[in-house]
Amino acid sequence: MNIENTDPKPGVVFMRTRETYYVQIGRERILCTASTKLKQEIVVGDFVVWDDKHRITTVRPRHNQFSRRAAGTGYQQQIIAANVDQVLIVMSVAKPRPRWNLLDRYLVSAEFAVIPALICLTKMDLVQGTAQREEIEAVASEYASIGYDIILTSTQTCQGIDELRSQIQASISALVGQSGVGKTSLINALEPELALRTQDVSHHSNKGRHTTTTSQIYPLPAGGFMMDTPGIREFGMWDMTEEDLIYGFPEMRPYQHACKFSDCSHHEEPGCQVRQAVMEGDISPYRYQSYLKLREDL
Amino acid sequence: MTQFTRRSYTAPGKIDGTDSDFVCHHCGAYVLANPVISGVNNRNHCPYCLSSRHLDLFEGGDRLSACRGSMRPIGLTFKRGHKKYDGQTELMLVHECQACATVSINRIARDDDVVALRTVLEQSAGLSPAMQEHLKAQGIHLLEATQSELPLLTAPAGLYTQYPEA
Ligand SMILES: Nc1nc2c(ncn2[C@@H]2O[C@H](COP(=O)(O)OP(=O)(O)OP(=O)(O)O)[C@@H](O)[C@H]2O)c(=O)[nH]1
Ligand SMILES: [Mg+2]
Ligand SMILES: [Zn+2]
Ligand SMILES: [Zn+2]
Ligand SMILES: [Zn+2]
Repeated sequence: MNIENTDPKPGVVFMRTRETYYVQIGRERILCTASTKLKQEIVVGDFVVWDDKHRITTVRPRHNQFSRRAAGTGYQQQIIAANVDQVLIVMSVAKPRPRWNLLDRYLVSAEFAVIPALICLTKMDLVQGTAQREEIEAVASEYASIGYDIILTSTQTCQGIDELRSQIQASISALVGQSGVGKTSLINALEPELALRTQDVSHHSNKGRHTTTTSQIYPLPAGGFMMDTPGIREFGMWDMTEEDLIYGFPEMRPYQHACKFSDCSHHEEPGCQVRQAVMEGDISPYRYQSYLKLREDL
Repeated sequence: MTQFTRRSYTAPGKIDGTDSDFVCHHCGAYVLANPVISGVNNRNHCPYCLSSRHLDLFEGGDRLSACRGSMRPIGLTFKRGHKKYDGQTELMLVHECQACATVSINRIARDDDVVALRTVLEQSAGLSPAMQEHLKAQGIHLLEATQSELPLLTAPAGLYTQYPEA
């Protein structure tokens, strides 16, 4: 069966393998390849138009894209998700341990991509009744007071799953995070019938085993779409300059223009109001440290 | 003002550069941080003028303070708690931040200048009564100059700048 797409109505790429793009249009799903004339990269979430041979000829301009600096040598962009309504930043509270600094990198990227972020802490059952749990909850509330939505979940006890379900209705959300934090498990918790493949983290390193290898969009019966993505180890910033890095930290924005020097990097300069706000307890010293670390890495 | 939780279970990894050499902000000396020379793992003050910078918040090396002020030595004290076998406790250097008045207690390094330490001890007698009270309130009891017949302070400086035996 050939579904020609001569009228400009695009379909959405919901999955891709090396050379095949799985496109959904209405209730139909078709397989496409990329036209050799197409110079642009096609990613999951893209709206595309194809010809009579099922070759994608056009990629519609994206509403947004969430990207990082590709791992390895060279300076290249890797688009993790396109055309999503929100990114669900997933981080486990144990196995592997949370890295708030990594969370901050995701958040900064979401700010720059102008995509709302929802933080999802997973595996709460693993810290039940411990001091670790208190620390997690305290830090979580610090993020909440910046203005971020943050949900504490467990697919074992179902903690937070209903809340999560209500936060993803009628929207397309992309799950992002390290390998093994439980991204795919969350989709399974929301829709058990999908029974997607998940895998234990390594016992030695508590690191994930990169179980999900391709991004894919799943429709959820209760409403909304979830994009699962492969876990990533490091998250480098893409296309960001030192001058506007502070924009990625919403709680720091109000102070930046009050600094003594207009080109203040908020590091060592005297009269820096951002630093002052950290001293006065209005900005988290940890978030400020994340800012400084990111600044070094740009 | 929010009270931010100290992260221990989820503490950030080691901060780069905390064990590298630095240039003293007070006297401009180039300071070697190698623990083999200083005898301490977290070299935080200059061995010549004993000054340091206000960089840490909860513990040495966490680099969580945004102050960056100059920390000047104001006196000596004994380490709280741990008594050594001979009943002596470790001698510590007390710093005060010139920018925000935070007081911190730091280990004396093997290569710290003994004359400078002695000077700090002598000058600490002249601290204002208010400052003395402030320290006492924090449980810090400064060593008095009369207590200075301590091995560290009477030994010749050279002893501490010699390359240690492996
Ligand atoms: N105890 C506990 N384990 C969980 C929870 N959620 C997920 N896990 C486990 O964590 C492991 C990794 O989960 P996945 O869902 O495969 O993780 P992922 O983020 O999709 O990993 P990648 O696909 O490699 O990026 C699995 O063994 C899950 O059973 C949870 O809430 N509690
Ligand atoms: Mg997965
Ligand atoms: Zn500034
Ligand atoms: Zn000095
Ligand atoms: Zn200070």
